[in-house]
Amino acid sequence: MGNIFRGFIRASSFLRKEIFEILRQPRLVATLVLGPFLILFIFGFGYHAQTRPLRTLFVAQTNSPLNAQDIQNYGSSLGVQITYVGITSNQEDALNQLQRGQVDLVIVEPVDATSSIKNNQQAVFTFYHHEIDPAQVSYIGYLGWLYVGVVNQQVLQSFAVQGQADAVNLQVTLKEAHANVAAMRLALQSGNEALAQQKQQGLASNVDAISQGVGISLGLLDSLQQTNGASGANAAPVQSTLTDLHQNTNQLSDSTLNTNERLASLDKTDKDITDLESMLAEFQSITPSIIVSPFRSETKSVANVQPTTLDYFAFAVLALLLQHIGVTFAALSIVRERNVGTMELFRVSPLSAAEALLGKYISYMLFGGVIAAALSALLVFILHVPMLGNWWNFSLVIVGVLFTSLGIGFTISIVSQTDSQAVQYSMIVLLASVFFSGFIMSLDMLLKPVRVISWMLPTTYGTLLLRDIALRGMAPSWVYLGGLFAIGLVFMLISWRLMRRLIAVSQ
Amino acid sequence: MKKKGNLIPVEKEIWPPVSPSEEDQPQTGQVNDSVISARHLTKKFGDETVVQDVSFDVPRASIFGFIGPSGSGKTTTVRLLTGVYKPTAGKVTVLDHNPVKLNRRERVGLGYMPQLFVLYPNLTVWENLNFAASLYGMSLFRGKRLKEALKFVELYEHRSKLARNISGGMLRRLSLASTLVHDPQLLFLDEPTAGIDPVLRRKFWDHFRELKNQGRTIFITTQYVSEADNCDLVGVQNNGKLLMVDTPQGIRHHTYGGDMVEFRTAQSFDFNAEAILRSLPFVRAKTVRTGPSSMRIIVDHANTAIPELMGWAQQQKIQVKSVEEYLPSFEDVFVELVRPEVNHG
Repeated sequence: MGNIFRGFIRASSFLRKEIFEILRQPRLVATLVLGPFLILFIFGFGYHAQTRPLRTLFVAQTNSPLNAQDIQNYGSSLGVQITYVGITSNQEDALNQLQRGQVDLVIVEPVDATSSIKNNQQAVFTFYHHEIDPAQVSYIGYLGWLYVGVVNQQVLQSFAVQGQADAVNLQVTLKEAHANVAAMRLALQSGNEALAQQKQQGLASNVDAISQGVGISLGLLDSLQQTNGASGANAAPVQSTLTDLHQNTNQLSDSTLNTNERLASLDKTDKDITDLESMLAEFQSITPSIIVSPFRSETKSVANVQPTTLDYFAFAVLALLLQHIGVTFAALSIVRERNVGTMELFRVSPLSAAEALLGKYISYMLFGGVIAAALSALLVFILHVPMLGNWWNFSLVIVGVLFTSLGIGFTISIVSQTDSQAVQYSMIVLLASVFFSGFIMSLDMLLKPVRVISWMLPTTYGTLLLRDIALRGMAPSWVYLGGLFAIGLVFMLISWRLMRRLIAVSQ
Repeated sequence: MKKKGNLIPVEKEIWPPVSPSEEDQPQTGQVNDSVISARHLTKKFGDETVVQDVSFDVPRASIFGFIGPSGSGKTTTVRLLTGVYKPTAGKVTVLDHNPVKLNRRERVGLGYMPQLFVLYPNLTVWENLNFAASLYGMSLFRGKRLKEALKFVELYEHRSKLARNISGGMLRRLSLASTLVHDPQLLFLDEPTAGIDPVLRRKFWDHFRELKNQGRTIFITTQYVSEADNCDLVGVQNNGKLLMVDTPQGIRHHTYGGDMVEFRTAQSFDFNAEAILRSLPFVRAKTVRTGPSSMRIIVDHANTAIPELMGWAQQQKIQVKSVEEYLPSFEDVFVELVRPEVNHG
């Protein structure tokens, strides 16, 4: 019992010593709390989720079917992304302006779009840029895709407008068909076979004209129905009615039918025509932009709050900062003892490796905990970052991140020969964390074998767990939490083994 | 400081030296009171031999001075004795145990003051001392003990100052206090007086003697050969080899082949008289002229030779101004001692 108590006293020597040394550097403590807070504060204040507008120069041939106004309209319909600078027919001059940085983007219209399309080929809009940032290059590629989408939509819209104009003519034909039906009915009822046949021929010619007209305009309604997932006759109501109309009209010319049967067919024909009329009216009532772009999307979250970009990054910053504090402080801790010479004192004294590490672990965890508490309070109460979950769970994750980071740091410290080596190794851990922990990009964007690195970094676990707790209000994933502590335990054992060797007698 | 009344009082009759040529096994009786015992201790780093075949014993409650020039292997020897290094060959026992295998309880009996200040500049004097006390598992109620240690090295008034803000001498005193705070039985002090002024050096030696009087054993290394006179036993180390272990007086005697007497006459001393003087049975062949009427004579024993010299001068009708034992400075002794080594080298 006495030995255990004395062991705690020996460990406490480091606890006090490390804390006193840190407290003697108030600027360091202030920087560690206020630095990240101010960075996040300025980020939250200065970040606006708008894409960069690109000064765009268009290149179009003088004989282009697209006029300058069309081109400007296409660009401006995308929003602020494209700032119309002008239009020119000199592609070389436009590209020179791009090289000189006078414009950000040059869009070259297809030279002979009509011919390409007639030859069953897509006409190509070429987007020239001078970017080196892969994200910006992707952005321009995406912008090109959007731009061509707008152009295609405009073309379709003009088709729809034309279809609605044609529908007016179709209405006249439908009215004539109604009149022929009514006249034929009267002729049949009065037994005037000659007149009935004449009206029947008129009706047949009306139905042919309707078939042709409907193919252009009302066919769009059928497409809509099919896109909507309908099947069978419901999938193409216009086509189905037309087929029905043709059959009924043909029956009217069947000489084997008696009068009553022909009258019944005539009623059906009349109904088909009425149906087509109502469909036509429906088609005409739809605005062309809805016809060519009938669907749109809406994004809604089932989460209790919708985090801002600041909210999303705040906990990643917290996890990364705690990892960096843990790794750096621990990494410098033992290497400094060795360089100063205290290690020789420890070798002669009854101090064990476990006691030295225990003292250092506790002191740095207390220090890291205070930093985490202060920073979390500033985030939640000053920057109003949401905290939906349980603070105890939150604290448990903080403890895990610090514990594991310290293990990595102590291991670095013992294998390093100098301060600069320890700092270099710590920087490598930091750099790895920035790229592999999901801090700037999702883990899903990494190949699975590469994710092994991610799952060795405390920031990866810290970021995922803290976000789940704070932004989703969830309990921490015990698998992640277990993984975090397991890695911490492994590094603690490694550092303990190495420390034992360090304190032991030199050969 | 806590006085250890039960420790053996220091005696002036010092432990006879053990030279490498003597028996490997220390003599019975002497070994029982030996705190440190080294036999054929050798340490090599690669091909370089830093400590070579060193043997000596350190009796309890004594000050053992380990003297040698810089790079002579003193610090390596201390590290071998404290268990920091494992010997390449030979055997060493400290407090009757192999220092490499000392358990924790046994390690509490050791105090080690490294050559350089190895504590923390950002901690105060008190905090540094408290850290050292904790390292040895001292009770939490140790405030009184810390205060005593600081008063002993006259640093109590400076206890609130940061270590980085105190002088080099104060840092050495703080190191000493940190070494003493847990009341060790055996102290290893590696060049504790290096780089400090003579006044502070004297204070340190006063401290060491006080510690010895309290019953502690001190193994101390120093470059200042003049400090050897403060030790009970002195080991002279050069180029990794232990040249001699003896009392300071014994070393002087051994170095010059006897005691030295300063002989001054009223008139000039002629060469005939000097030749006769050299032929006297108690006079060693060597005499050193220090002036026309003075010389230093090496004799077997100064206390018996002085009356005989006076008688001889009376017989020769030589008017004597003074005859007294001359103690050469330890610097001179050291130079004389290592000269054959240097010449050989």
